[in-house]
Amino acid sequence: MSEVRSAVPSVNTRVFFSKTGRAKYISHLDLNRVMQRAIRRAKLPVWYTEGYSPHMYVQFMLPLSLGQEGVREAMDFRLLEDMDYGEVTARLNEALPLDIRAVEIAAPVMKNTDITTAEYEITADIDREKFLEFAQSEKIIVEKKTKKGTSEVDLKPLITELSVGESITLRLPAGNDFNINPALLLEAYRAASGDEPRSVRIIRTKILCADGSEFA
Amino acid sequence: MSENLYKNTEMMDKLDEFLLDIQKPARYIGGEVGSVIKDKSKVDVRFAFCFPDTYEIGMSHLGMKILYGLKNAVPNYWCERVFMPLPDMEEQMRRRGIPLYALESLDPIREFDFIGFTIQYELCYTTILAMLDLAGLPVLAEERTALTPLVVGGGPCVCNAEPLCDFFDLFIVGDGEEVNLELMRLMERCKKENASKREFLERAAQIEGIYVPSLYKVEYNADGTVSKITAEEPAPQTVTKRIVRDFDKAYFPENFVVPFCDIVHNRAVVEVLRGCIRGCRFCQAGYIYRPFREKSKGTILGQTRCLCENTGYDEVSLSSLSTSDYKDIEGLLKTLTDYTSKNGINLSLPSLRVDRFSEEVLREISDVRKSGLTFAPEAGSQRLRDVINKNVTEQNVLDSVKIASEGGYSSVKLYFMLGLPTETEKDIEGIFDLAKAVIGQLTSDRKKGRSPSVSVSVSTFIPKPFTPFEFEPQASEEEIRSKQKHLMEYASDKRITISRSKYDVSLLEAVLARADRRVGRAIYLAWKKGCRLDGWDEFFDIRKWREAFAECGLEMSFYANRRREYDEVAPWSHINMLISREFLISENRKAHEGVTTPNCREKCSDCGVIKNVGGEICRAIR
Repeated sequence: MSEVRSAVPSVNTRVFFSKTGRAKYISHLDLNRVMQRAIRRAKLPVWYTEGYSPHMYVQFMLPLSLGQEGVREAMDFRLLEDMDYGEVTARLNEALPLDIRAVEIAAPVMKNTDITTAEYEITADIDREKFLEFAQSEKIIVEKKTKKGTSEVDLKPLITELSVGESITLRLPAGNDFNINPALLLEAYRAASGDEPRSVRIIRTKILCADGSEFA
Repeated sequence: MSENLYKNTEMMDKLDEFLLDIQKPARYIGGEVGSVIKDKSKVDVRFAFCFPDTYEIGMSHLGMKILYGLKNAVPNYWCERVFMPLPDMEEQMRRRGIPLYALESLDPIREFDFIGFTIQYELCYTTILAMLDLAGLPVLAEERTALTPLVVGGGPCVCNAEPLCDFFDLFIVGDGEEVNLELMRLMERCKKENASKREFLERAAQIEGIYVPSLYKVEYNADGTVSKITAEEPAPQTVTKRIVRDFDKAYFPENFVVPFCDIVHNRAVVEVLRGCIRGCRFCQAGYIYRPFREKSKGTILGQTRCLCENTGYDEVSLSSLSTSDYKDIEGLLKTLTDYTSKNGINLSLPSLRVDRFSEEVLREISDVRKSGLTFAPEAGSQRLRDVINKNVTEQNVLDSVKIASEGGYSSVKLYFMLGLPTETEKDIEGIFDLAKAVIGQLTSDRKKGRSPSVSVSVSTFIPKPFTPFEFEPQASEEEIRSKQKHLMEYASDKRITISRSKYDVSLLEAVLARADRRVGRAIYLAWKKGCRLDGWDEFFDIRKWREAFAECGLEMSFYANRRREYDEVAPWSHINMLISREFLISENRKAHEGVTTPNCREKCSDCGVIKNVGGEICRAIR
C-alpha cells in the first residue's frame, strides 16, 4: 500500500472516537476488547503482532477513567491495505456499540508523548458560590494514587484555563507520565465544602499538546 | 447520536446517580453490541428472560442466547435479558426504590407479559424468589392474579419442578425452541381476548411440554411419600417433554450479545449435538436431553462462521454433552479448522471423552492454547466405573494422557465423585492410584520449566431424578467425612493436589433435586431469612436452610439420604422425560450387579425414547 506519512512508525491510522452515554461504564481494559471485536466485525485489514500468540495491534493514546466520557479520544492501528477513510469510519460505526462513534480518521501526526494536557467539561448539581470560593483557595491538596502508593499533589498550579459558568471547564496535565484525574478536584471540593456534587458528568473535550494545539 | 438507545432515560438517569459506586457497572447498563432494541409501540408480547445468577454466569449460557434470538426473530415479540444483581447493586436498588429492570429497555420487568427463568441448577432457587421480589412482584403464584406478568420456568431442573410449584405459573419441559413461540402466540391471543389468567393456564396446559402445576393435586402417605398425583381437567395426566425432531434445522442464533466486560465463557459457541449415547448412571443430563441428535457438518460450519463474523469473537467452542461422540468428529474438526485457522480463530473443545481422544483429534486442536487438560474418570476403580457405567478404562485414560503429554500438556485435572453406590475403601484408594499412574505418563516440559502435576477434584455424588440412581440415598455427612479422610491419609504425593467439595452444598442440592411440593415452603422461608445466590461460597449459609426446614417440619435427610423403593410414587412421576421407569429400575439393578450397559451406538438399551417417539428419532446414532 502507498506509504502514509505517520509520526509513529508501527501504525498508519489514527481513529478519533467518542465514548459517551452508557459507554462511560466500559473500563479501559474492556474498551480494548470492545474495539478489537469491532475491528474484526468491520473486517478491517489490520496488522497483528507476530510470534507465539499473534494479537491485533491497537494502541490507545490516553486512557479515560471509568465513568468519564470523551468526545475526541484517539487510538492507532496499522491498516495493511489502502482504504478510503470514509469507508473505514462507516464500517467501524456499523460495528461499534451505539455509544462509541468513530468521528474522524487520519494519519498520525503526533506521538502520544506529545500529549501534555486535556480539557474537561464538568457538569454537576453543585453550589456554584461555594465552588468559586473553593477554586480560589491558595492550595488544593489532593491524594493522588501512584504506582508506589499515594502522594500529595497541589492541584492549584496545575489547573489551567478554569472557567465556571453553566458548567465547569478546565485543563489539567495529561499524558502517560503525569496525568491528573479531574474527579480529584470534585473530591477535594467535597472535602473542603461539605457540599455533595450530584448528577456529576465529566467529559474530556480535548487532548492537547505543549503548544496548546489539539492532538492530531 | 445514540438517543434511540435510551428507551428509558428516566431509569438511566437514576442509575447514573450511583453506578460508579458499584463493582463492574458495565453489567447493569445493557447497550452491548448484538442486544436487540425494538419499538415498544410495535411490540405485542414482552418477555423478560431471567437467568437467576450473575451477569457473568448468565451471559455465558447458550440456552439463553438461543431463546433470546428465537423470540426476537419475531417482529412483534421482544425478549430482554435480566440477571441477579450482586449485593452492592441490590442494596442500592432497594434503597432508591429501583425495581428489577431488563437490560435492553431498562423497563421494570413487572410490566412485562412473561417473566421467564431458565433453571439450570438447584442452588439458584432462592435467587429466583429474590429476583421476583426485587421486581416488586409477589413471589407466590396464587398472589399474582392478573394474566400478566406470567412467571414461567424451563431448563433441566424442571424435570422435577415440584419444589418450585408455589412460585411459578407454568413450566416448559424439554427443548424450548418450538414451545416458547407457541406460548407467546397464546399470550398474544389471550391479551387481545382479555382472557383471565385461569383461561390462559387451561389453554397452555393443553400444549405438549407445558406443565401447569396448579392443575395437579398431590396427596401424601402417612410416611411422607407421595401417594397420588391427579390432574384436573383439561390438563393431561402426564406432561411429556418437548423435543425438536429436526435438530439440524432447529433455530440457532446468528448473533450473540457481546458483553463489554469479561464473562465466564466469552466466546462464540456452537451446539454440535444434543443428547448423549453414553448412559452414565449418575448423569441426569445424559438422560433428560435424549434423544441423541446431531447437526450436519455444513450446518455447524455455517453457524460457526456466521457467529464469528457477527460477534467479532476470535474464539469458538463446540458445545454438547460429549463432542467426541459426534459421528464424524475428525471430519468435523477438519472442516472447522480449515475455516478457523485461516481466520485467526481459536477452536476449543470442552467436552471430549478420554476413550476417543485420538492423536488426530489432538492434532486438530493443537493450535489451541495449551493450558490444562481435564479428564473425568468419576470413580477410582474399574469395578466402580462399571457400577456407574462410565465405560472408560484406566488404559483409556493413560493412553490419552500419553498422547496429550507428547502434544505438550504437562498438567492434568481429574474429576471424581465420592459416595457413589456400592463404594468401598478400595475404590477410594483407586482415585489416588489412578492419579499416580497419570503422573507417570506426563513428562517434564524442560523448555518451559514446567514439571508435571495432577490436580484431583473430588465432589460428592448427588442422586438426581430420571437417572438409574434416583432411588439411591446420598451418603451422609459422617460417611463423606470418613471417605474424604481415608483418601487424604492414603494420598502421599506432592505433585498431586486433591480438592474436596463441601458436603453442605451437595446435601442441599440433593434435597432440592428430589424434593416434593412441600419443600417449596422451606425455600420460601430460606429466602425470607436472606438466602440467595446459594451457589456462591460467600453467600451460602446452610444454617438458614436448616432452620427453614425445621420450621416447616421437614427433614432434609428424608429427601437426600433415604433409599427410595422401586414402587414408590416419585414426586415427578407425572412428568414424562421419554425415559421409562422400567429402564431406570433395570439400570439400577444392573448397577448393583456391576453389569455395564453398552452405549446407544453399540446397542439400543431400550431406554424408552423409541417407544415414546419412534425409532426414526435416533437416526443420528447409527
